[in-house]
Amino acid sequence: MIKIALPVVASALVLSACGSDDKDDDASSNPGGGNKPTYTIGFQGGLTGKNAQLGINEANGVKLAIEQANAKGDLPFKLEVKTSDDEASPDKSQSAAQKLIDDGNVVAVVGPAFSGPTKAASPNYAAAKLATLTPSATNPSLTAPANKFTALLRGTPNDNMQGSGMATYYAKKLKLKTVLLIDDKSEYGIGLAAVAKADLEKAGITVKTESIPQGTPDYTAAATTVKNSGADGMIYAGYYQDGAPFAKKLKEAGVSIPMISGDGTNDPEFIKLAGAAADNWYLTCPCADANVEEATKKFAADYKAKFNEPAGTYSAESFDLANMIIEQMKTFGAEKITREALLNKLKAAEYKGLTKSFKFDQNGEYVGGAIFLYQVKAGKIEYLGDIDKLSAA
Amino acid sequence: MNLNEFWDYLIPGISLGALYAVIAIGYTLVYGVLQLINFAHSEVFMVGAFAALLVFTKIEPSNPSGLMSVGLVALGFAVSGLAGAGTAFALEKVAYKPLRVRNAPRLAFLISAIGASFFLTHIAGKLFGRDPKPIPDLFVNKKVFEIFGARVSVLQLIMVGAAIVMMIGLDLLVNRTKMGMGIRAVAQDAETAGLMGVDINKVISRTFVIGGLLGGCAGFLFGLNSQVTYTMGFFPGITAFAAAVLGGIGNIRGAMIGGMVLGIVESFSAWQFGDEWRYVSAFAVLILVLMFRPTGILGERLGRTA
Repeated sequence: MIKIALPVVASALVLSACGSDDKDDDASSNPGGGNKPTYTIGFQGGLTGKNAQLGINEANGVKLAIEQANAKGDLPFKLEVKTSDDEASPDKSQSAAQKLIDDGNVVAVVGPAFSGPTKAASPNYAAAKLATLTPSATNPSLTAPANKFTALLRGTPNDNMQGSGMATYYAKKLKLKTVLLIDDKSEYGIGLAAVAKADLEKAGITVKTESIPQGTPDYTAAATTVKNSGADGMIYAGYYQDGAPFAKKLKEAGVSIPMISGDGTNDPEFIKLAGAAADNWYLTCPCADANVEEATKKFAADYKAKFNEPAGTYSAESFDLANMIIEQMKTFGAEKITREALLNKLKAAEYKGLTKSFKFDQNGEYVGGAIFLYQVKAGKIEYLGDIDKLSAA
Repeated sequence: MNLNEFWDYLIPGISLGALYAVIAIGYTLVYGVLQLINFAHSEVFMVGAFAALLVFTKIEPSNPSGLMSVGLVALGFAVSGLAGAGTAFALEKVAYKPLRVRNAPRLAFLISAIGASFFLTHIAGKLFGRDPKPIPDLFVNKKVFEIFGARVSVLQLIMVGAAIVMMIGLDLLVNRTKMGMGIRAVAQDAETAGLMGVDINKVISRTFVIGGLLGGCAGFLFGLNSQVTYTMGFFPGITAFAAAVLGGIGNIRGAMIGGMVLGIVESFSAWQFGDEWRYVSAFAVLILVLMFRPTGILGERLGRTA
């Protein structure tokens, strides 16, 4: 692997180095003469390979936003889009980023899509002062000030907020007294569980905790523990691959208390593996279902018309982020747009998108955060809505 | 300690222990005749589970019940047992026999075993995908019996029942038949057994097949109870190996007892300390027992006890 990978990376670096020589200059050429300048919004994400669907969903959202903005005709510039495929792999991320950085026309980027590639490429973007607005990289540590990812703006609540969302729903909507909190000992699970625990306790709920490591050979004992715990609700902080067999054993043990899990389980695969045992499980996600929400219905229809498939996870969020960039670009008026100036404007900006409001704190972390609730019903993941709104009702 | 809870955890412990016992027999049998730890046995177990998975995803039984369920379960045993036996047979021919013929040093056998284990694991991952898959339901009857206030599922009954049948059958086979006498003779003293007219190669090959048959069936039961994946053999394999050592490696009844003990210890520690302590306590018990009885609970080897 290494033997093959090294020459590829090396040649990619050489190529991108060559590219930077001649492509740096013509950012906003011919400003006069009635001709509008042309700017490019970049997208970085996995467009081929494993989990490519997520990247495609997002790239399409960006493309749609740009097409509609151009069509409106009120822009003082012309917009183009440039996608860069990182195959959702941290190894490929830096060269994918370099492709966008070296193109002087690119003034801001939507992406990278995944946390790993984001971590790898963010130093490069920071050095180039090229704003990256990620719709879906949710690893909480990305925005830690020590990273100095100064060009990264997160356009989504991070994993921690799902934990509080779960706590809110259990405390306010279902009004539970005792909750059993189970993590799978993964970094994701432990982080999610820790936040949920703090918020549940704040709401006056008694919390019992258990850990069931990933790959446990037999979930019967764990299901018995849940049954005998006396809790009136359960949170599973883990991924679907262990959640599914666990759900089966819970059903066999006759456990019928509310059960909730995060976006690690929010996947049709969970239902495929667990079958009927997945029914009634609540699942959270920082992503809304664009095909259902009133605000995004028009977007969803336009998307379907253009790409001939329904809007997917994070499509609408990417659309929003692209529009947020366009809005800030408009504020330049006839002035030449530079990366750094646009980045600074974006950092301070607030934008009300179709899915939610976007605003960032001084570390680029998303401020606010709606968490959306789904529930498995008769073998399908059904969308229930914004947890805060559901809990207030 | 609540008595009801005691039964609640004892029963999954017994059913898991029964599986460990059946797998452990595979380790102990081969050790008996070859003084070799067949580390690829965990993959025989995995192949058995995959065989059942492939057959049942092809058949896709819809809401089976009654006689049909019985037939399906029997088919599962047949398919996985055969696949396990076939894998073990091939394993012996490819990974061990060439070494034996050339009088290779002990270490070569061990490395060959580990190599075969890795090969099988990853070829299964390549061929069948690396994501865990469940075996389709073979019986809609999820009826649960109450025994001493504890809930016992049909699957648990099948697991324990099948394991008991397999263990009794094996015990009879080894102690009462001519084939068993051959196995015992080779275990006791291979050279002399050869001189007395026992075909050592055949005995060794048969031993692998018997162990593989049991391992394959255990894989099927294990897959029914959770999911099938290419790495599923590792932990049950190591635990069953530990069970064989705990009971006294080379000793068949020891392997059965060792498996049961580890299964129950795992389940009780999941109850008392939480699921994350499962393997910690099981292996702590192993070390404790070996400190006081270095040859395991029953001690001694196959040939001498029988």
